[in-house]
Amino acid sequence: MGRIWLAIRSFFSILFSGSLPEDAITQLGLMRRGASKPKAAPAPPAAPRASDGALQMLSILQRDSRLIDFIMEDVAAYSDEQVGAAVRGLHDQARESLARYVKLVPVIDGVEGTFTKPAVTDPAAVKFVGNVPAGKPSGGLLRHKGWRAGKIDLPPLNPKQDSTIVAPAEIEIE
Amino acid sequence: MKYVIGIDLGTTNSALAYTELKPDADPLDLPEVRLMEVPQLVNPGEVRDEPLLPSSLYIPGSTDFPAGSLALPWNPEPEVVVGALAQKRGVENASRLVGSAKSWLSHSGVDRTSAILPWSAPEGVKKISPVDASSRYLEHLRHAWDSKMPDAPFGEQQLLVTVPASFDAVARELTLQSAERAEFRDVTLLEEPQAAFYAWIERHKDWRERVKLGDLILVVDIGGGTTDFTLIAVTEQAGELTLDRMAVGEHILLGGDNMDLALARLIADQLAQKGTRIDTLQLHQLWHNCRVAKEKLLEPGARAKEQPVTILGKGTGLVGGTIKAALKRDDIDRVLMEGFFPNVPSAEMPARQRRVGLQEIGLPYAADAAVTRHMAQFLRQQASSAEHERVRRGPSGLAAPTHVLFNGGVLHARLIRDRLIEVLDAWLATEGFGPVQALTGEDLMHAVSRGAAYYGLARHGRGVRIRGGVPRTYYVGIETAMPAVPGMPAPLKALTVAPFGMEEGTSIQIPNREFGLVVGEPAEFRFFSSTVRKNDSPGALIEDFGDELQELSPMEVSLTSTEGTGTVPVSFETVVTETGVLQLWCVARDGRRWKLEFNVRERIAQ
Repeated sequence: MGRIWLAIRSFFSILFSGSLPEDAITQLGLMRRGASKPKAAPAPPAAPRASDGALQMLSILQRDSRLIDFIMEDVAAYSDEQVGAAVRGLHDQARESLARYVKLVPVIDGVEGTFTKPAVTDPAAVKFVGNVPAGKPSGGLLRHKGWRAGKIDLPPLNPKQDSTIVAPAEIEIE
Repeated sequence: MKYVIGIDLGTTNSALAYTELKPDADPLDLPEVRLMEVPQLVNPGEVRDEPLLPSSLYIPGSTDFPAGSLALPWNPEPEVVVGALAQKRGVENASRLVGSAKSWLSHSGVDRTSAILPWSAPEGVKKISPVDASSRYLEHLRHAWDSKMPDAPFGEQQLLVTVPASFDAVARELTLQSAERAEFRDVTLLEEPQAAFYAWIERHKDWRERVKLGDLILVVDIGGGTTDFTLIAVTEQAGELTLDRMAVGEHILLGGDNMDLALARLIADQLAQKGTRIDTLQLHQLWHNCRVAKEKLLEPGARAKEQPVTILGKGTGLVGGTIKAALKRDDIDRVLMEGFFPNVPSAEMPARQRRVGLQEIGLPYAADAAVTRHMAQFLRQQASSAEHERVRRGPSGLAAPTHVLFNGGVLHARLIRDRLIEVLDAWLATEGFGPVQALTGEDLMHAVSRGAAYYGLARHGRGVRIRGGVPRTYYVGIETAMPAVPGMPAPLKALTVAPFGMEEGTSIQIPNREFGLVVGEPAEFRFFSSTVRKNDSPGALIEDFGDELQELSPMEVSLTSTEGTGTVPVSFETVVTETGVLQLWCVARDGRRWKLEFNVRERIAQ
């Protein structure tokens, strides 16, 4: 039925207007000469998601120091000596890499174990532990200096790249 | 603003330094020479400023890098990768890596203008020529400059590019060609050891108090891939101290990379004895780790007797697959001190090139790894140049330096510097002289580019200039007119066309010789050089030169029919341009001139 209807419509359309109707062209899989292919709308560049930066950092640490391999490995079976040998180089490189992309500075630049009066009391930046009084404590012993990302300098993300790939698979051709 | 830009086009690393050109400034108040950090890809999609540009080039295939990740600020889609990323990726896939392009540039056994690199690339990889590879590094530096200094276009600055002193006329010409290909205009070439010495002068404004008339300075330059020697004499002219470059050594393909590889091989052997075999990729990792471990062990004040070197597991099993080894201080002493810097007497010459049957064509690496023997040979060779009164010599004829200046990354290690001084002192004592004095230089990695920028100012009359001229004597081969003997080539004589030390900006007419150039046919001349023969004057005809002369690429000239018919009688004229390039011209009686061009294709068949 569809075929007969299409044939009749095409016949009359050519007879009266000299060209095939638009839907007949599509149905027959034809293309009007001179007309361009319907362009696929350019894929909008994927908006960076909050997780992309985190994944990028993981992938940098893996690339430069193989940190992810280390963390994901079950090291229980290996001797301390073996673990130590692997980690020494890894540590140097992870540290170098971190220093390059995220400059870490202490939240309180003091000497651990000495009495310190914090300038800020934001619970996210300073955590009081031990016998904390009911009111705002004026100070205490600095147990941990804390870490703050002083400067983040990550290279721009390639929008064409799958950010979920933390490390590519490697295939060696012998 | 106008600048002088000095470029150290190194075998393993390149660097750029610059200084402001102020024509009306006080000539004694030398401006500061600064280094430019070079933006380059360090990882796919990551461009970063680095103090050096590794002279590595990688020809990417379709599976090498994610799309768009090779973009540079000046080029969204480069065909090749240059710099740190090329070096990194080249370790993983060496068959697409071009390294040591500069060494290939001076290798007369291959056609240096045809696409032959990477030498061992699989079929289907678009190769490039040594000249082209060098021009890519220069081009990168040009773009880097323009992106950092938008107000001072690169094309308008004064440019200096350094070459090893041991580069012959052909290698220098090819360096110029690569500079031209990189759109460098009006380039001046400068020898690296000289540049290192200029850098020392730049750092020591009181240099005139540190050296005196009659002193002889030995410059030892050991880079990643090459070793270069130069002698500079302190002389006097019109009551002022001046500097004369007296001699340069031959091209020795021997450097820090060889030393680190020797250490890596040693560790690999030790591992193999314990039953652990490592593959090429792991050897590369070991090579790198040995360099780091060596530097740590040789650091000033280091007390450790050994340094761990590890090769991490290849798969995700990092700890499980880790191979442990240790580089021992004793091993360094043995491998480096005995293998590369043995304490030998000054009469001990390097072993000759082994030429056994079919040798794989590759770079002609030095057959003898002992730098000290090469140094002995260099100082011995000066014995035959008796006319150079200014060269202090011992009774045996050995040139006896009063000072030594070190350059190149290898000589960061105090241990090696001390050994060289120890060896030199022993030689000097035998000749009846006191110990040599080391001229302390700083920043061995950047001295050459800094010195080149300083020299740029010296060319404008600001600062002292080392007088040098061509560091070799050049000859054209002439077949003797003798009855031909079947199966025997006619004996060859050599006509001196450029005397040793011929100065920049001069020209010489070669007397006594006229040739007939046939119109329409290319005329070819065999071309020779010598770093040893220094007394031959222009026009002198040399016979029985033994192995004192080295054959270079031939030179040719071709006269077209527009220039007449039949045979045109010509004589030679030698020109050394202001920028230090040697040119040979054929001059007709009526003054018409044709330049001879190198034919680098010729010698490959041999």
